[in-house]
Amino acid sequence: MAAPSTPPVGAPPPGDASSRSLKQLVLGRKDVQDLSDTEQELPPDLMTVNMGPSHPAMHGTVRIVLTVDGERIVAADVHPGYLHRCFEKESEYATFTQVFPYTDRLNYVSPMINNCGWAMAVEKLMGLTGHLPRRAEYIRVIVSEISRITDHLTCLGASAMELGAFAVFLFFLKAREWLYELLEKVSGARLTHSYVRIGGVSKDLPPNFHAELTLCLDQIVKVMVEGEGLLNNNKIFRDRMAGIGAMTKEDAIATGCVGPIARAAGVDYDVRKDYPYSVYPEVEFDVPVGTTGDCYDRYLVRIEELKQSIRILRQCLTQIPDGPIMVDDPRVTLPPKAATYNTIESMIRHFKHIVDGIKVPAGEAYAFVEGGNGELGFYVVADGTGRPYKAYVRSPSFVHLSTASKLIHGHLIADVVPIFGMINMIGGECDK
Amino acid sequence: MTDASNPAAPAPAPTPPDSVSLTIDGMAVIVKKGTNVLEAARTLGIDISAFCYHPGLPIVAQCRQCLVSVEKNPKLQPSCQQTCGEGMVVHTTDAQSTLARKQQLEFTLLNHPIDCPICDKAGECTLQKLYFEHDNADSRVDVPKVHKHKVVDLGPTIVLDQERCILCSRCIRTCDEVAGEHQLEFAHRGDHEILTTAPGAQLDNPYSLNTVDVCPVGALTSKDFRFTMRAWELEATPSVCTGCATGCNIEIHHKHDRAWRLVPRHNPEVNQYWMCDEGRLTYHGLREQRLAGATVDGLPAGLDRAIRAAADLLSPLLSAGGQAVGVVLSAEHSNEDNFALARLAKAWGVSSVYVAAKPEVPGRADGRLRVADVNPNTAGVARIAEALGLSLAPVGDLSAGVRALVLLGSELPGVDEARLRELDVIAISAHERGPVATAKIALPAAAWAEASGTITNAKQHVQRMHAAFPPPGQALPAWEAVVRLAHAAPVGTAGKLSYTHAREVFKDMTQAVSAWSALTWARDARPLALRFAGSRG
Repeated sequence: MAAPSTPPVGAPPPGDASSRSLKQLVLGRKDVQDLSDTEQELPPDLMTVNMGPSHPAMHGTVRIVLTVDGERIVAADVHPGYLHRCFEKESEYATFTQVFPYTDRLNYVSPMINNCGWAMAVEKLMGLTGHLPRRAEYIRVIVSEISRITDHLTCLGASAMELGAFAVFLFFLKAREWLYELLEKVSGARLTHSYVRIGGVSKDLPPNFHAELTLCLDQIVKVMVEGEGLLNNNKIFRDRMAGIGAMTKEDAIATGCVGPIARAAGVDYDVRKDYPYSVYPEVEFDVPVGTTGDCYDRYLVRIEELKQSIRILRQCLTQIPDGPIMVDDPRVTLPPKAATYNTIESMIRHFKHIVDGIKVPAGEAYAFVEGGNGELGFYVVADGTGRPYKAYVRSPSFVHLSTASKLIHGHLIADVVPIFGMINMIGGECDK
Repeated sequence: MTDASNPAAPAPAPTPPDSVSLTIDGMAVIVKKGTNVLEAARTLGIDISAFCYHPGLPIVAQCRQCLVSVEKNPKLQPSCQQTCGEGMVVHTTDAQSTLARKQQLEFTLLNHPIDCPICDKAGECTLQKLYFEHDNADSRVDVPKVHKHKVVDLGPTIVLDQERCILCSRCIRTCDEVAGEHQLEFAHRGDHEILTTAPGAQLDNPYSLNTVDVCPVGALTSKDFRFTMRAWELEATPSVCTGCATGCNIEIHHKHDRAWRLVPRHNPEVNQYWMCDEGRLTYHGLREQRLAGATVDGLPAGLDRAIRAAADLLSPLLSAGGQAVGVVLSAEHSNEDNFALARLAKAWGVSSVYVAAKPEVPGRADGRLRVADVNPNTAGVARIAEALGLSLAPVGDLSAGVRALVLLGSELPGVDEARLRELDVIAISAHERGPVATAKIALPAAAWAEASGTITNAKQHVQRMHAAFPPPGQALPAWEAVVRLAHAAPVGTAGKLSYTHAREVFKDMTQAVSAWSALTWARDARPLALRFAGSRG
């Protein structure tokens, strides 16, 4: 081989090696101690920093343009970005039943609750509210509460991880996975269930569901003991949560905050209690309300809601009656397969349901449920055909994200992480 | 009784002498004398269910689906046959008529086969629609269904499934009334009753496919359309048939950028509810021998290069006075295409302007919808030429001095091959056939279903056609090709031709043609998804 005629790449320029450090050569910058006095002073102007969209604590496409005075945030501009979900517009081009998969993808950590909300809005238009079989209502409450648990476990686990408590994240996600597996047995899908139907639910609970859910709940109680033990009085955790991102009761109401965020600020509002729906009046549970409205209160409220959800689930398991899971109304119920294949009447009904869609009488309705993040409402306008004329979703994340810049204001850059984590913004719901 | 049930009704307005006033479901309505109750209800937005009633056919009250109760009348009355009477009080939603509707539907479905998944009518079936809206009850039948023939060849265009037939007789009446030929009949009785051809006849009249449209179920299926496309997946765009000078109003049913069928659209001034079979099949032409890219000397060329070549050929001839250039308008193209080309001929100072048209087919005229002139826009071209002061000659009288011909369309009747060889033809055409195949330069044009425009029928109705899907390849609306040609060869005032939308050509045209001065350009129609339009029966 011939000897190279040029020096190898990366070698220091000849004759200059002694005057430059390796760092200077590689990174092109000096050590602090090598700087002159004037160079060492921090610049007096404000600085703009992009936090996200590819930042581990920024969820989805969100980025925050921070204007900082040193470490102190003086202005925060939240850019939610685009997921291009177009839930509301897409719904106008789908039958009422075909909207369920779209709702799955709203708050994708608690899709069952979204399913229920949409079904309730359409049922209101069809005059079915209150006429569903009791077993269907109980199943809806069961899957909704399981979804609330998965939602809160995700929120709390991820926030703890973002503050360094990685073990809690693993514990909580392990517990969430048990529930996902259970919901997969119920609906056939781990995350995008599309389980609820207008007039009931698509299929009955699987065999042995009661025993499995009871076992899950017992295990989750243990996991929560572990998690709370690691977090509640953890100095690092409390220092970074308590007093951070506080919101007053008045502000919470004025900005339209709902769910755990509003309750942490002292707003005693839970749709399940204040506008009871389904079989929630038949189960006992308490609504936790905070006092300070800071991140630590939001954490405590969510922890308590987990316990209350478990309480509701245990009651439902003992109270759930046997019976049909769909309302007996030919307008919304698909005929049994045997009838579809063997009688022309059921064949036509099946065809009309699938191709033209459930015929919803003209009118408009708003139905709302307590979602993982608070009041989740669907406003539907029907024009008498098989698809919505207009669909609107009142998604809690959309409202909560709008308060983020105000909450962040005045805090340190490091505080953005717990504040944003406790807002629990879900992109699919925010971008509607 | 009336007053008691409707105490808030205002004092009745005096009824005009040729009208009667009646009450349907508590709503007062005034209709012309002789109107039937079913039509009167429709004016109020009450759609009484019916199978055999069709507004364009004689009334037979055969299906019994439209029964309503009329006060002071002991029995239910078929609302299609019941003429409105002064002071009549009709109920369509009372227990008696609701039950009658449900029972009638159950009866109709007794022997109906379970064919929806394989039935051509599924998705636009009146039986499906009425059952779902008015009955929706489970089957109570526990005996086998009566079976009949599934595939009966009625004639060259239609196949009958006797099991699906609900014996409404709409098709029989359609043949009698629209075609004037009695070719269909019922035979046998009870649940053995079937639809069949009349003795010695087959269903071969030129309007036979209308029976498929009026059939409320999938009993009569078109051999042309059956098993090609599911009805609910189609989209409908309104247009006008280009099969002849009648200009029947149609809907193009299309999907995946191609037409799958044409169906008539109601227009009382032109075609009522009907159209002929020949016109219905013209959509096949949209995909035959299409010119999708420009050619120069028979070889593929870019559009810009072809237009430049055309301009290079024409410019010296035009600068020399334009005696050697001829322009041929087309009775097959829209008013806009022809007007743009006629304007260009004026601007170039070309005096030899001709019109090309397919020859008449005298045997076609039947005094109904079909006429001898098989060109859709003969009247429009004549109007445009007259308005612009051009004297149109048939293209067969091509003057001897013409060396180059700007041709719209693919017809050049009366020009023999020897003469054609001497000519440099610059064709703007949707199809590569006849003179276009041997043209010096050919520019691809959008066909009738692919461009917005208007055509003028023999009765001087100017009717709008909407673009249903985009043209293939490089093809562009013919008026646009004309404008680009004008800009490439800006001899005379041709460079001032500046249309950018068919609407602008139309506007200029309505200012130039005095008879059309009151016309306005409607917004482009968006395709209607038949799936969500509901069964239209």
